[in-house]
Amino acid sequence: MGRTSFSMTASGKVALGVDIGGLKLKNPVMTASGTFGYGIEFSPYMDLNRLGAVVVKGLSLRPRDGNPAPRTIETPCGMLNAIGLQNVGVEAFIDEKLPLLRRFSTRVVANIFGETVREYSEVARRLDGARGVDAVEINISCPNVKKGGMVFGTDPVEASKVVRAVRKATGLHVMTKLSPNVTDIKVMVKAVQDAGTDSISLVNTITGMAVDVEARRAVLATTVGGLSGPAIRPVALRMVWEAAQVARVPIVGVGGIVTARDALEFIIAGATAVQVGTANFLEPDSAVKVIDGIEDYMKRHGIRDVNEIVGSLKTPGPRANPTGSAR
Amino acid sequence: MSNATVIYNEHVGGPFFRMALRWKGRGFRPGQFVMVRVSGALDPLLRRPFGIYDVLGGRKGIEILYKVVGRGTGMLSELDPGDRVDVLGPLGNGFPMVRDPGSLVMVAGGIGVAPFFWLAKGMAGKGRRPVLLYGARTKEEVRLVRPFRAVGVRVRVTTEDGSVGSRGLVTDLLDRELVEGRTVYACGPLGMLMAVSEAARRRGVKCLVSLERAMACGIGVCLGCAVKTRPHPQEQKHYSMVCSDGPVFASEEIDWDSF
Repeated sequence: MGRTSFSMTASGKVALGVDIGGLKLKNPVMTASGTFGYGIEFSPYMDLNRLGAVVVKGLSLRPRDGNPAPRTIETPCGMLNAIGLQNVGVEAFIDEKLPLLRRFSTRVVANIFGETVREYSEVARRLDGARGVDAVEINISCPNVKKGGMVFGTDPVEASKVVRAVRKATGLHVMTKLSPNVTDIKVMVKAVQDAGTDSISLVNTITGMAVDVEARRAVLATTVGGLSGPAIRPVALRMVWEAAQVARVPIVGVGGIVTARDALEFIIAGATAVQVGTANFLEPDSAVKVIDGIEDYMKRHGIRDVNEIVGSLKTPGPRANPTGSAR
Repeated sequence: MSNATVIYNEHVGGPFFRMALRWKGRGFRPGQFVMVRVSGALDPLLRRPFGIYDVLGGRKGIEILYKVVGRGTGMLSELDPGDRVDVLGPLGNGFPMVRDPGSLVMVAGGIGVAPFFWLAKGMAGKGRRPVLLYGARTKEEVRLVRPFRAVGVRVRVTTEDGSVGSRGLVTDLLDRELVEGRTVYACGPLGMLMAVSEAARRRGVKCLVSLERAMACGIGVCLGCAVKTRPHPQEQKHYSMVCSDGPVFASEEIDWDSF
């Protein structure tokens, strides 16, 4: 590199390791659930060992077919999806996918989903003894299924019940993924951390829709879907920053991250780690490029340890005009 | 970020372009596709899928034949030789080889002819000639089959108004070709695929279809390009992914009523 005027450690290496509530990652970059399959699909395109963690497609107790087509549509700087949590089910994941994932030194986070509190805890219980799983990420925020999902994600009381039940069912690290489709994210943050989550990831997709004006029909078969990609990044970033103000547990920032610069925004705003999602569709090795870019940034700025910049956002004091509206 | 260079980007009439890309992909099979990222910008965000039209001599790259339908393909059509794009692939299953070229009946409509050229070129000149039945709506579409004739494929064209070839639908030509021992490969508009599939079923002729769907990833992970398929006896699965399970499916696998 040779671009820094600061002296680095003897080897010129920077420390990228982070600890998110007991879950130690070699670097702060994970892949987001639903954008990375079961991980193995990406091994032809990248070295999976490079990743901080792989978060697999949301797992339910039984296999799910998912929603009718069309399930996706591109929108400006983003895309809408309504996949409906199509997945092989937790048992097939453990039997067929996990043995292949175990060959890599990367942490495995199993995203879990249920239609009832009981289903959530049952999925978590089955993963508890599965060798190679390091954490569960509770999906209480999927907008694309009729039952469960969003109800748990927008009601702090319901959210607490799910987190408590999962917490009881497993000794694994429990991460809870929040929905952005709420009025005050801080309420949800407090609810899930009081219920015992070890970390919080946010945001899931923002609900949205698209209309085919020629046919005067909704483009998605389900009418409404979830918006992801760079289009949602400023919203996600604002919510991560708000969450970080009140959180006692580590925050994992998710939402439209494509480059290292994007990831650094979240880290500086208070995220200890990040997840790369939709960008995996553009370039399968996006997450690796983000890791390299963070390392490069640290060298340029003479930062030895990535933890130094977590939540390092400089604020001009209390905001005089919090809504940002002009007078 | 970009791994391919435009060698030429030829306008072949109407909304159709033929582009050659210098690209170090390998292991192609006829009927496979590539995902092309037209620019490094974030809008349009996603890659676009294109069937492989031809493989360049010395395997130094590929050709794609495409139709400008929106902003992504519009941007692609404006690229000049030397411009760079990013190609991911080859992807998908492709067409199985047919032993006797004379037994192959290719059926295409419009731009659906694109994934057949490399296959047809490889088969023509080896024994009996394969046939291509082509349904066209415009004179520009008719022009897309010229290269097939040039490599020795027997081409039959229909147009709805009868201005070129015979008048009617491509399925009108199909009946005569549906004899025992033949195999139908079809690609084109959904209505055409359904009709071809039904005709082949009635005559007990094997039929494979290449489907087209909007895709986000192309590698089987976004689960966006789902089509409803009849579950295999041992499997519970009711959806297949056009990108990773296809794009070529046995027509009886597809639940045509779901469209």
